Amino acid sequence: MSDFRTTAKARTVAGTPAAVSAEMRAVLRFAQPSARHFAPGLAAGVLSACFAVALLASSAWLITRAAEQPPIMFLSMAVVGVRAFALGRSAFRYLERLASHDAAFRQLAHLRLGVFARILPLAPAGLGGTSRGDLLSRLVRDVDDLQDFPLRVVQPLATAGILASVSVLGVWLVLPAAGVTLALSLLAGGLLATIASTVLSARSERLLAPLRGTLAGEVLEVVENLDVLSAFGALDARLATLAAADDRLCRASLRRSLGVGVQGAVLSLFAGLATVGALWVGIPALSGPGGISGPGFAVVVLVPMAVFEVFAVIPLALGVWRQVRSSAARVASAVPTSVPAEIPAESVNVPTDAPPDAPTTTSVGVRPVLELTDVGASWPGSATPAVTGITLRLAPGDRVHLAGPSGAGKTTLAQTLVRFLDYTGSYRLDGVEARTLAPAEVRSRVGLCEQRPWLFDDSIRQNLLFARETATDPDLLAVLDRVGLGDWAARRGGLDARVGERGALVSGGQAQRIALARALLADFPVLIVDEPTANVDEEQGDRLVRDILVTAQEDGRAVLLISHTPVPDDLITARVVVPGPAR
Amino acid sequence: MRPFDPRLLRYATAARWFLLVGALLGLAQTVTVIAFSWLLSQSVTLAVTGASLASLAGTIGTLAGVIVVRAVLVWLLEVASTRGAAQVKSQLRRQVLDRVAERGPDWLSGHASAAVSTLVTQGLDALDNYFARYLPQLLLAAISTPLLILVMLSQDLPSGITVIVVLPFIPVFMVLIGQATQSVQRQQWESLQRLSTGFLDLVGGLGTLKIYGRERRQYARVHSITEDYRTRTMKVLRVSFLSGFVLELAASLSVALVAVSIGLRLVDGSLALGVGLFVLLLAPEAFLPVRQVGAQFHAAADGLAAAEEVFALLEDGDAGTAASSSAPAAASAASAAASAAAASAGASGPAEDGVLRFEHVTIRRGTDVPVQDFSAEFRPGELAVVVGPSGAGKSSLVAALQGFVPFDGRIVLNGAAQTPGTPRPWLAWAGQRPGLFQGTVADNLALGDASVDLGTVLRSLESAGAGDLDPAIVLGVAGEGLSGGQAQRVATARAVYRATTHDCAVLVLDEPSSALDEAAETVLVVGLRRLAREGRIVIVVSHRPALRSAADRIVALTEVAHV
Repeated sequence: MSDFRTTAKARTVAGTPAAVSAEMRAVLRFAQPSARHFAPGLAAGVLSACFAVALLASSAWLITRAAEQPPIMFLSMAVVGVRAFALGRSAFRYLERLASHDAAFRQLAHLRLGVFARILPLAPAGLGGTSRGDLLSRLVRDVDDLQDFPLRVVQPLATAGILASVSVLGVWLVLPAAGVTLALSLLAGGLLATIASTVLSARSERLLAPLRGTLAGEVLEVVENLDVLSAFGALDARLATLAAADDRLCRASLRRSLGVGVQGAVLSLFAGLATVGALWVGIPALSGPGGISGPGFAVVVLVPMAVFEVFAVIPLALGVWRQVRSSAARVASAVPTSVPAEIPAESVNVPTDAPPDAPTTTSVGVRPVLELTDVGASWPGSATPAVTGITLRLAPGDRVHLAGPSGAGKTTLAQTLVRFLDYTGSYRLDGVEARTLAPAEVRSRVGLCEQRPWLFDDSIRQNLLFARETATDPDLLAVLDRVGLGDWAARRGGLDARVGERGALVSGGQAQRIALARALLADFPVLIVDEPTANVDEEQGDRLVRDILVTAQEDGRAVLLISHTPVPDDLITARVVVPGPAR
Repeated sequence: MRPFDPRLLRYATAARWFLLVGALLGLAQTVTVIAFSWLLSQSVTLAVTGASLASLAGTIGTLAGVIVVRAVLVWLLEVASTRGAAQVKSQLRRQVLDRVAERGPDWLSGHASAAVSTLVTQGLDALDNYFARYLPQLLLAAISTPLLILVMLSQDLPSGITVIVVLPFIPVFMVLIGQATQSVQRQQWESLQRLSTGFLDLVGGLGTLKIYGRERRQYARVHSITEDYRTRTMKVLRVSFLSGFVLELAASLSVALVAVSIGLRLVDGSLALGVGLFVLLLAPEAFLPVRQVGAQFHAAADGLAAAEEVFALLEDGDAGTAASSSAPAAASAASAAASAAAASAGASGPAEDGVLRFEHVTIRRGTDVPVQDFSAEFRPGELAVVVGPSGAGKSSLVAALQGFVPFDGRIVLNGAAQTPGTPRPWLAWAGQRPGLFQGTVADNLALGDASVDLGTVLRSLESAGAGDLDPAIVLGVAGEGLSGGQAQRVATARAVYRATTHDCAVLVLDEPSSALDEAAETVLVVGLRRLAREGRIVIVVSHRPALRSAADRIVALTEVAHV
């Protein structure tokens, strides 16, 4: 589902191809381990491959030489060699896999840190659609898939290349003409297999991807809306459409199937041709003046088979390369190196290490804590502002309900107030223009309870503690009590109870309450609460809104409650309505 | 996990064809391998003993012919597996979807629907690898390895016996190592899972971390999570890779053993060079499919796991399949009889008053009883609001009315008893989830109809409080492109459209205004009152004061004790 959408997105977002490939190379550089870490695995891999070829060569030599019935001591070296190559080949293969995996995993830390550093200034507003759950996990999966670049692309290709050169050189030393035929077969076979793999697979993928996407969309709609389709008597018609989409995909796959095995066949063919070529140039050399010995001839004829066996990884590596490349392209387009103009730079105008201004103690009712005049904001990549003309004042103790139809830009305003998005107009915090403050400084005074609060896959304690690290367990239990989760937490086994991956073990309402508890712990002078009832049923939602406003009233905290649902007048001090989006 | 699940043959007829064609191609491939090795060893032996190129031209020519045939067979086997995979996937996909449609929404709600759709699309795509890389090798291991060993035995008994002795070590060691790995993996699995999702968790929560000024501290955490992941994974891999080591070792050692033994017997003249070379070339080929099966097992495991999930889905509750699949048929027959009876009886009886009655309705879901002994009446022309705390069974009651869940007691409309599993042409409904589709808003409203009545579309949007929405807007997959509130209004409008165009006697809306602002809610209430005045039964599940105060009748549900 997400796959094809992301691909489509990557294609449209990805400006010029040249720019993308530069960005992509930057991403791939993160994935490739340094030479120091990469070398041991590569060395072990090359040794293992060389030993595989040497095993066949020494066996062939041993047998052909033995047939000449020399004294047995002339064979002892070959006997030792055959056994050593057999053992060494497997042992080095084991070492190769360990060393290269270790290097790739080591690099994963750098890769993730590199991507994290690029995400950091963008998050959350600059990630655009990526902040949606499935696309985000796609991005993270793409980052992790980049491990395949050193492991399954660079390593096998480099090993095959080095082995081929070494083998050609070895064969050339025995019989130069056979070295030439082997080199030609390897070059031609490798080249043709690469071309076949690139052209045919790429074309087949291009044809199949949209069909697969259509089918995935159809399946998703039918499965997720089975109740709707049944209720409207539309199920049979939709199943017929689905079957047609499935049919189209299946027929297209069958048509493309002829191109699929070509790489393997090409390599098999050229492996055979290399053997025939060696026979062709080897047989005359056996009898000619200054010719080769019988055992040497057997080595020259049999080595190509072993070399091509190692070469067989090339089509696989190229297939992985195509996947890695699209992962890299998606990462590059999802996490641009440049921060869009709509996102405030983290340290603009204020050096990060400068001590923040001493928090201005505001005497209640004297000075507005937060003052907006004609504020507007836009999302990156959008031509029209998502919200315009907001003017409001929020003094300590004020509880303002910001209402307005859906799509009016209420959430945009919330993101703007915590400086995830830049603004037009004037946004003053304690009389100081927010633009001149570091965004982190603004966020130390203005807190936000998000529409979908993020819960980390950890205990309740850890999910609260990062809001105030000095808080003791009694503090945490007290704040849970205030947000109405005291009994719930006790039933779940206290602060150590886990919330599950993405808060899977808690309901929407409980997640909002945990988010509120965090905000209370952090003790923000101003708190923005964005649509707390969006994922909560009506009855619980009404109770939640009441609890949010009552705790704020108790603390004298200024609250801007963003909600499309009605809020009782007795809980709030003012109401501001955002007009609908301009059409 | 078994290497091959026989259920694949039962559910996907294409798999049978593939096995047959694959076996024939595998057999042919083995023959070319034997021919290639024989011709090559003959050429080398004759050349070494002094034969000229001209006298060997025939042998080498045949060798070239065999090489071409071998390449063609390699290609055909790949073509066959690609076609097999495409057809098997399509067959399995259709069976799952047919089964899902047959069992209905209530059964589906027991399975995560997103998981089902992922399974039949991306999940089944993992079968590509199973068919392309694993199954052909499994076939070759079954066909080619025994055949090659037989040839070796017939040519040189000691070499054949060497291979027969070494070969069984592979499965034995694989099993031993597999068991050792399993216990290591079991210990590490949960922590590995947590570590591998740790980065996602962090990136996803970055906005939240920024709000609390904690984002910069996460560098150290990313680093430590990933390093921890590396050390633990490497611990597992050190053991896992041993199985690959054993495979490689068995294969290369047996080649070494065969080569040395042949060499020693050649020296004392008890063996001919031609036979020795032939056997030496066959030895690695006998191990190749077995090695490939081992190496590709992980690539195949995903596909096999997906197929097994599909089988589990197809067989879910199969013990009761006979009962449940015949139930709708029986039910529809019964309901046809019942409605016929009701029609004939109703013609004279006073029961045909257009009233919807719930008579002692009880709904059971496993051990839960969300609705117990519920009785109520809904009259034409009235707007009824159903209220009750969460968990009081409001949605179960709606599902029973739709015929999606079985229930005890009776639901009677206009004198006719309504049984589960039968169509409800008299009902228009909008659920809590909008459930919109790709296409224009107008197409969405006319769901299930062949044509679109634009006038009714506009009026329906109007009464759902979405009069400002352009019916020509094109939505993406699953209704993408509308805000939550807009989608909800379109879903309500769709129910209104159906109620109007199909002249439905009953309109049911489940929490239609949870995402609406006050102004839109007011418009909706007016629209609903008008629809009721036209002689319909309008039932709204809601908690909103605006709707409660507009209701002609309020039906309160209380939470029932859970058994």
